[in-house]
Formats: sequence, structure tokens, C-alpha cells
Amino acid sequence: MSGDGARRIGDAFAAARREGRTALVPYVVAGYPDLDASYEAAVACIDAGADVLEVGLPYSDPLADGATLQRASAAALKAGATFDSSIALVRRIAESRPRVPLVPMCYANQVIGGGDGREAARRLADAGAAGIIVADLTPDEGAGFEKVAGEAGLAVVYLVAPTTPPERRRWIANRASGFLYCVSLVGVTGARTSLPPQVARLVRDVRAGSPIPVAVGFGVSKPAHVKALAKAGADGVIVASALVDALGKDGRDVPALTRLVTSLREAGATLAA
Amino acid sequence: MTIATRPTRTRSAGGRNGSNGRNGARAGRSDRRGVVGEIADRRLADLRPELDALDAGVLRKAVAGAPPPRPFALRVAAPGLHLIAEIKRRSPSAGQIAAEADDAVTRARAYQAGGAAAISVLCEPHWFGGSVEDMALVHSQVSVPVLAKEFVVDPRQLEVLRAAGADAVLLLAVLQPRRTLARLVDRALALGLEPLVEAHDERELDAALATNARVIGINNRDLRTLDVDPERAARLREHVPEDRLVVAESGVRDAATIRGWRALGFDAALVGEALVRSGEPMAAARSFVAAGAVPDDPVEAARAPLIKICGITDAAGVEAAIRAGADAIGLNLVPGTPRALELDEAVELARLARSIAAPQARPRIVAVTVDRSADELNDIARALDADAIQLNGAEPIELLARLDRPALKVLHLPPAGGPTPPVVAEVVDRARAYLRGGATQIFLDTSGGPHPGGTGRRADPELVAAVAREVPVVLAGGLDPATVADALRGAAAIAVDVASGVEAPRVPGRRPTKDPLKVALFVKRARAARAERPNLPSRPTPVDQSLLEANDHGRWGLDRQFGGRYVPETLMAALMQLEDAYAALRHDPRFWAELRERLASFAGRPTPLYRADRLAARILEQAGAASTGGAGPSSLRLYLKREDLAHTGAHKINNALGQALLTRRLGKTRVIAETGAGQHGVATATACALLGLPCVVYMGAEDIERQQPNVLRMHALGAEVRPVHSGSATLKDAINEAMRDWVTNVETTHYVLGSAMGPHPYPTIVRDLQRRIGDEAAVQLAEAEGRLPDLALACVGGGSNAIGLLSRFIGEPTVRLAVAEAAGEGIATGRHAAALAGGTPGILHGARSMMLQDRDGQVVEAISASAGLDYPGVGPQLSALHAADRLELAAATDDDAFAAMALTAETEGILPALETAHAISALPRLLAGTEGSGAPYPADALVLLGFSGRGDKDLASFGKWRAAHGAAAEAHA
Repeated sequence: MSGDGARRIGDAFAAARREGRTALVPYVVAGYPDLDASYEAAVACIDAGADVLEVGLPYSDPLADGATLQRASAAALKAGATFDSSIALVRRIAESRPRVPLVPMCYANQVIGGGDGREAARRLADAGAAGIIVADLTPDEGAGFEKVAGEAGLAVVYLVAPTTPPERRRWIANRASGFLYCVSLVGVTGARTSLPPQVARLVRDVRAGSPIPVAVGFGVSKPAHVKALAKAGADGVIVASALVDALGKDGRDVPALTRLVTSLREAGATLAA
Repeated sequence: MTIATRPTRTRSAGGRNGSNGRNGARAGRSDRRGVVGEIADRRLADLRPELDALDAGVLRKAVAGAPPPRPFALRVAAPGLHLIAEIKRRSPSAGQIAAEADDAVTRARAYQAGGAAAISVLCEPHWFGGSVEDMALVHSQVSVPVLAKEFVVDPRQLEVLRAAGADAVLLLAVLQPRRTLARLVDRALALGLEPLVEAHDERELDAALATNARVIGINNRDLRTLDVDPERAARLREHVPEDRLVVAESGVRDAATIRGWRALGFDAALVGEALVRSGEPMAAARSFVAAGAVPDDPVEAARAPLIKICGITDAAGVEAAIRAGADAIGLNLVPGTPRALELDEAVELARLARSIAAPQARPRIVAVTVDRSADELNDIARALDADAIQLNGAEPIELLARLDRPALKVLHLPPAGGPTPPVVAEVVDRARAYLRGGATQIFLDTSGGPHPGGTGRRADPELVAAVAREVPVVLAGGLDPATVADALRGAAAIAVDVASGVEAPRVPGRRPTKDPLKVALFVKRARAARAERPNLPSRPTPVDQSLLEANDHGRWGLDRQFGGRYVPETLMAALMQLEDAYAALRHDPRFWAELRERLASFAGRPTPLYRADRLAARILEQAGAASTGGAGPSSLRLYLKREDLAHTGAHKINNALGQALLTRRLGKTRVIAETGAGQHGVATATACALLGLPCVVYMGAEDIERQQPNVLRMHALGAEVRPVHSGSATLKDAINEAMRDWVTNVETTHYVLGSAMGPHPYPTIVRDLQRRIGDEAAVQLAEAEGRLPDLALACVGGGSNAIGLLSRFIGEPTVRLAVAEAAGEGIATGRHAAALAGGTPGILHGARSMMLQDRDGQVVEAISASAGLDYPGVGPQLSALHAADRLELAAATDDDAFAAMALTAETEGILPALETAHAISALPRLLAGTEGSGAPYPADALVLLGFSGRGDKDLASFGKWRAAHGAAAEAHA
């Protein structure tokens, strides 16, 4: 089920590795605080060194998300974000920064609620998306969507969590394409001061059982986190809430965002031996 | 005759678990048999010289002169778990239990008065302070069977014990090699002394089962070490085939232990210490006897099969069937078959049956025939005054109309594994044809063999199950006490029939006769087969399975398009654990027995079914006014299923209590819940307080505002209420926050979801826990009206009270099902909570179901004055039922619902919850045909309404509404 999108994502991780870095995967919320500002934030991330960029599609009931992303999602919806406008944003980013693979992140009802998701997958791929992450979709229910996404050339990124037993982890890793999203902690999204002590072990175990690159996310907020995860062998690190926090109360402090992304990227420059 | 005399030393061991006992036991012989070996050796040493000195002739005479044995096995084969009360003054594990001077006779008589089925008396003097004299004395002073609790090390002890009056004797598998054990069993049986063969592990159990013993004991105590494993008997129960009687021993803490053993199908419990510890002997016995009795539960009774004992050939057989409580007896009038009777013999047996049975327990008398003419059949039936005629041959359907008495038709199925297996649909069609033609019951029997009417071999279980799902059937052919329970659990048959399976060994040249113990055991096993297993089907449900049960992936619906499991990966492990744990529990009789007991003693179940005549009259008026063509019923009997009278005032307690018990089984230590109106929150807080679990309830900030009394209640019960401000600050947001908490605390926490929605297996679990609403209502309505309702109606939010009421009736084609949704300000305004009428399929809170959403799949906020219905989704099973046209829809606006609250309060003095009022409001429109499918109702309509909760929590908003609407309130309705 891989295709154009999976290959582009794989290439991005490989390029980072060649440069001796763990890949940096920032996340921005489409339409937060408004469409144009979210475009600025997205390109700022890319220009500050993102290897892959996740674009969150705002949702009314984000049950995997903590306060920060809940707030941003609600604000974006209030400012008038729609599925159409989010796709337009993806297209705009892809056209101006074609080299960085874009991976939208959303909830199941947004893509397969009304059907098999064929239409949504096609539209996202057309707009330039390389992959997609559906926060409440596991391979147990995902076979149909993997098929239509594959036909559209869109990689379906699945998540594994600390609560996932080893055999299931392997099963999920073999169903995922693009990269495998390793959730670092037992909880929802949101910047944490520290990651759980077992995360290094988790990363090593997940990586050992995965045929595709492993990117670790949830809670990552500081260069020290990135360094530790790089040392543990993560192929990539995902940062979301911390970036939204960096944008400040009104969501428009792009320079602060740029500074944070830059420092995170530098921290990833020490790869595990 | 004297055997052993007064004990020469006391051995106080102390400690129930025998740890001191083990230290105290002499380590003199390195004996694999430990303590029991030591006791056995001493017994042999004491008894050998005396036994050798006995004259065989004297012994024989003493045995012949002994009182006839009292029927120990037959007593224990009666329904329920029976108490064998044990008399012992001390033991190696417990030390001194009763005073040496404790009068065994007084105690035994007290136990008998308390209802003990038998008394066990210790015969061993040194360790237990007992004696054969004690046993003989007790026997002479009580009328129940007496078990000699002896250490049998020499076969002659059996004669001695029988001569002393013993009715039963303990044989320990640990003490004998297998063949010796088997010989002892046979010797005892030949003497009329019932052996109770006791085992502690699988090896001993194997040895016990290899003998001819009819009564097997499983001891939680290891007699070698005196350690007690309180779960041992429960674990080993399934290794004992159902055609043996099983006794559980040791480790009784209190009546709850006894209840658990009964649920597991133990026939008796041997209790000693616990009786002494419980104070006054008669009262103690009484409480244990009560705990072992079959519960007086009409829902359980409605699910139990009818039982026919067929092919009875003599008076003893009639007596055995009647004593065992059979529902019907069959008298065979097929010439040339082994059990055939002459007409006058059958007439006599029928007369006997009628005369000896109590009037309310009279079995139906069935004349069994093959291929006779209608005239012959009517003559036979008249001669016997038969209640029914069984047609075992190839009788044509047309014959039935000419019979004067009810007819039972036997359909012959080939035995399993034959060359041309029948097609389910064909069998079902044939059955339906006979039922339409006038047959009152259909028997499924194997055919072929030398005699029509059964070869004793069974048909393909899957075929039988498929047919039993479509039409009411009686299982016949090849059943016996060992197999009947499994057969009844595997197929939703309404009755069972047995002939050869309960007979004594054939004597050549004589007709087969019934073995009374096998008859009793068959009836007991059949009646208990579905007891405490409320999720096993017990009657046909001729609708598509996908509307009744989710598949393995949690999918419902004709296209399996609803349900499933859409959750973040972090929750998958918890859901899979929940699924596995629940799969183990779903048919676990101990779990459901405990839950039923708690629901009865704590929550006040069963709830009443109340006929609301004044409300019905007003509703009929409204229906008349609403109907356009004068359609609609001319009379209405309206029954309210009063869940408002359950503890905490709504149906939510059924689910909360069940899931709290489930939490304990999962080993989780913290509970979270969401709540809309607060009823589920209160119920969960209540169950957690009862079970000592910390509880956190998430509630939308807006709901906290409008349902303050429930918030106060949750606090009073010790729960923490966390307000949720995000989104619409109502139920859906509380669910989101609860899910987030669960994602974060999944390792310690169980999420007690409050409705029949969410990711698999929640919709199944909540439905299973709520289905008793409809199960009870059906039985209550049958008592009141003798039939099923024309319409079953409930309000619907998430769907728990709706599916709880409706589940029982989904498979009843004559019952219409309807739900009343919250129309808020009106469905046309778009400001409502009607997910079925105004929604589309989507994924919400883990499941695919009907929901309110915009074109982007964003969830649209539900709008309703009633916090419990204010949810933009609905459970997947209800979505499936609606999509299959098995569920009709109605709705009520906020105003409608408040008006219905006023109406109900003023006509019946009952204040419904605002949620419940939606259903009341919708009823006239359903009857008039302006809502629902529009199909007309019978002239005298019978309606069952789920009265899901009381309205105390809604008094503030109700008051506001009244003030705003003033006197227009009633006219508004």
C-alpha cells in the first residue's frame, strides 16, 4: 500500500539520517489562528529545518488531544476553518515548499465517517499531501481506508503506544506506511516538562520491530527531549503542542516559533551510535 | 459394638489454614499422604484387631437388621444446593471447634430443623473427637440421611458403618489405589451405603470418576498439608460430568460462598466449622440453606425449559417423574416398541399421575403415537384424558385440524454426520407449516433406527440451534443428565424430552423402567442449564442475528455497518483486556448470581410494572384528537416499567453496579464515568461507594448548572465531580474528557461508560446489563395480561434504557418497537438531539452510528432541555435496528416533554424524569399514526413504556417552564 507519498516520506527520513540527524517533524494546526497565519507558521517551520510537516485538521471533538491542541482546534473552527479550507492550505504549502512531505492529521469521522474515505484521500493527495495520520483509527478498522489511500498514493501512518503489546506493535508496524508514529507516553497530547523514563527503552523496542522509520511524539517540548530521543535511536521526533504554545496567546508569534524549531533541529544533530 | 474409645491425647493445631497443623504433624513417616496418611495409619492400627475379632455372620445379621438406608443421593438431586451439616468437635487444622461435651444430637437436630439435607458425623476419635457411636446415636435421633465421616482403611468398616445405621460414607481418593477405591465404592453401593468419594486435585478426581460413585466431593482442603485453596472446588467443578452429584467442601466464609457454589452447579456443600462459628446452630443452618436454595426469580423461571419424561412404563416411573417435578409425562402407545403400553395400562398410569400430583404441579399427560387415524387418536386421548397427543410418525398436517386435543409434532432429523444433512430453512418451513396447521409444539428428534421415536442419538447441534432460533422447539433424542445442560445452552429450545437417558439398566425380557435418581438429576440439570446465564437465548428470535448481537469486531446491522472500534491506539490494550475479561464473564454464573443478588438486596429489583389507567385515558384522548382518519385504538392499557423506583431513581444503577463488579474482576482500582443528567454519575458513585472504589465523574458545566441535585448527591457519595468546559459543555464533552482521562490512566482505571454506545465491547456490555428491564417487564406483563405488548416504547439518548427495555422484544415479531428522541426546539429548526431522525452515519466516541454532524464531519451540538438525551449520537445497535426497519421513530420537543411531565404527575401522582417524559409525550402520536411507521394499532392496544427515571432532578426547570406557560400547560399537550 505504499506509493508515491510513502516513498517521499521515506526519502525525507533517509536524507536526515545521511546528515547525521534525527528527522524533525513539526505540527501546525490548519486555520489557527486563521488561514493566513497558519500558512506563515507552516512555512516558518519548513524554513527552520522541518524534514516532514504535520498539518492538523481542526476537529470539534479531539479526544486524543490535551488542552493546547483542543484550544487551537476550537479557535480555528471558530475562525471559519473547513475541510475545504484546510485542503487549500495544504495545497498552498505544497506549492511553495514542494520538497517537504506534508502529512495531515485528523480524526476518523473527518475522512471515513461518511464512506470509505476515497474522496478525502484523493483530495488530500491532489493537494500535495504525502501521508495521513488518523488519531482514532487503528489497523483493526483501517483496512478499507488503507486501500483507498494507497490507490491515491497517500501513506497511512499508524500509531503505537506504550500500552501496545510487542506482537501487536509488530503487526501495526507492518500495516503502517511512511513512518510509524510512536506515542511516547500514556496520555493525550500536550507539552510535558519531562518524558517518561521508559521512553528510551520503548523507542528501541519499537524501532527494532519496525520496517519503516519510527518518529516519536506527544509531550516533546525541549531540545533536551529531542537529544534524548535521538540518542535512543528515534528516526524522527514530532513536536506539536510546544509549537502552538510558542506561537503565544494570539497564535501569531512566528519568530518565537522559528527559534524553537531551530533549536530543536540542532538538538537532533547528534544521532545514536 | 465398640470400636475406638475416648481419645488419649488432644492435638491442638490452631490456624485455619493449617500452617500450625503442618508444624504439629508428626514427621515420623516420610509419607506422601502427609496428615491424612498419619490419621489413616492410626485408624487402621486401632481398628484392625477389632475387625479381625468380628464374626462375619454376626456382622451380616447386624447389617440386615439395620434401619433401611435413607435416600442420600436422591435428596441431593433435588433442585438447589443442599446443606450437609457436619458435626465435629475438633480438627487438625482448626483445633478445638466445639466443646468436648458439645452434644452432637442436640446440634444435629438443630441443623435438621434449620433445613439441612443430611448430617455428617466424624467417626475418628484422636484428631476429631468423634466416634462411630456418635454417628449411630445421631442417626437414631434425626430423620435426614447421615453421612459417616470416617477414614475407611479396611473394607469391613463399610459393613460396620451400615450396621450402625449410616446412610452414606466418605471414601478418600487420596488414601486408596484406584482399583481398591473402585472396589470399595461397589461394596458400599451393594450395602445400600452411598459412597461420597472425595478428591482434591485432578488426579484424585480422575480416580473418583473412574469408580461407580454417584456422589463426588471436591475438597478445597488438601488433606495432606491441611492448606485450603478456596477456589479449588470452583476450578475443578467443570471436570465433573453432569451425571454425577457434586459436593463442595471446606473454605466456606459465609453465605456468599454457598451462593457462588450453587451458581456453579454444585449439588451440596459439606459445612462444619463455618456452621459452628456462625452462632446458633438452627439459624446458621437456615441461612446456609437459604443461600443454596434456587432463587425465587420469575425471570429465571421464564427462561427455564419445560421437561417431559417419556416412555414411562410403570407406577414407579410415574412417581419418579412427579417427584422430580417434570412438566409432562409421555405414555407410549406405539405397538411393537420397547416402551409400548396397552391402552388400559396407559389409562391406569394416567389416572395415577393425576391422583398423586398436587393440583398446581400436575404434569401434562401426553399420549405418544405413530401414524394413527384422527378417530383413533381422539379415542386414545379421550380414554387417557390426555392433555396432548404426540405424533411421532409421518402424520400429514391436515390431520391436526381433526384432533380434539392439542397436538405435538415430532420432526425427525438424521443423526449428525450423515450423508445428506438437512437444510435449516426446510426444517424451519416444515415446523412453521405444522404450527400453522395447529400443532402446539415441535419436537426435534433423530430418526431411523429400528423404532420410530428416537434411536438415542443426537442430531447436529448447529442445525438444532439454527432451527431453535427460528421456531419454538422441544429437544429430544439422545439426551441424558450428562448432556442435557450443554444441549440447552447450545440451542434456544423451550423444552426437552427424554426416555432412554433416564432409565435403569435393561433387564432382558422386561420393559425399560426409569431410574428415579437419573430422572431427578435430569430435571435438575435441565432446569439449571440456563440459570444465572441471562445472555444465553432461551426462546426463538426470528430476526437477523446481526440485529441481536455484534460480531467479533463489534459490528451490528444487516450490513454489519454500525459499531466497531475507532479509538486512539493507547486505548486498544484496555479495550482488548475489557473484551477478554467480559467474554469470560458473559456466561459466568457466579458473576450474574452475585449481580442479581446485589440488584435485589441493594437496588430493589425487580422494579414494579404499573398500569397507568388515568394517564392512558388522557393519552387515548390525545391520540383521538391527533389522528386524522379516526384511526387509532379505542382502548389503551398502558404499563409503565418503573425504573424510577430502582435505587438512585433511574435504570442507570443496573449498568453501574455491573460494571463496578467488572472493575474488580479486571483488577482495576479506579473508576471514571461521564454523566449527562447526573443519573449515571450518581449510580456510578453509588456502586463505587458500595464496593470501595475511588470515583471521578466528568460532567458538562452546563449540565452541572441544570442538574444540581445530582451533583450534590455525587459529592455526598464521595465521588469527585470534574466540570467540563470545552465544546458545548454537555454530555458529549464529558465523554471526550472521560476518554482523555482513560487514555492517561488506562493502566489503573476502568471507564464505566453509561450508555449502550462507544467502542466495542461497551454496547454489548451495557445492553447485557440493562436487558433485565425488558426481561422482567415481559414476565410481569405475561402475569398481568397473558401476552406480549403491541408496542414497547422508550426515550432514547445514548440508548441504554431503550435497548434495556427493547432487547427482550426484538425477536418477537408481533411487538412493535419505538423510541422517542429529543426534538429540542423542533427537528425542523436544526436545534435538537435526534440522531436517528435527523442524523447521518458517522464515527463518534469510538463507534460508527447515526449522529448529528455537518458536511465536514464536525460534530454538531445537540440541543435539548433534557440533559440525559442531549447527545448528538445514539448506540450502534439502535442504529442497526432502525436501518433494518425494526425500530420506529418518534420525537418530542422540550415543551412537549415538560407538558407530559405535568400530565403524568397530575394523573398518576408520578413525576417522570424529563427524559422519560419524551416517551410519554410521543405515545399519542404513535397511536394516532402521525409518528412511527403509521401502521394502525389493534382496537385494544397494549403498550409497555420504559419509565426510565424520576423527575426530582428536573423540578427546577419544570418549575420555570410552568411559570412561563401557566395554565396553558395542560391544553398544550
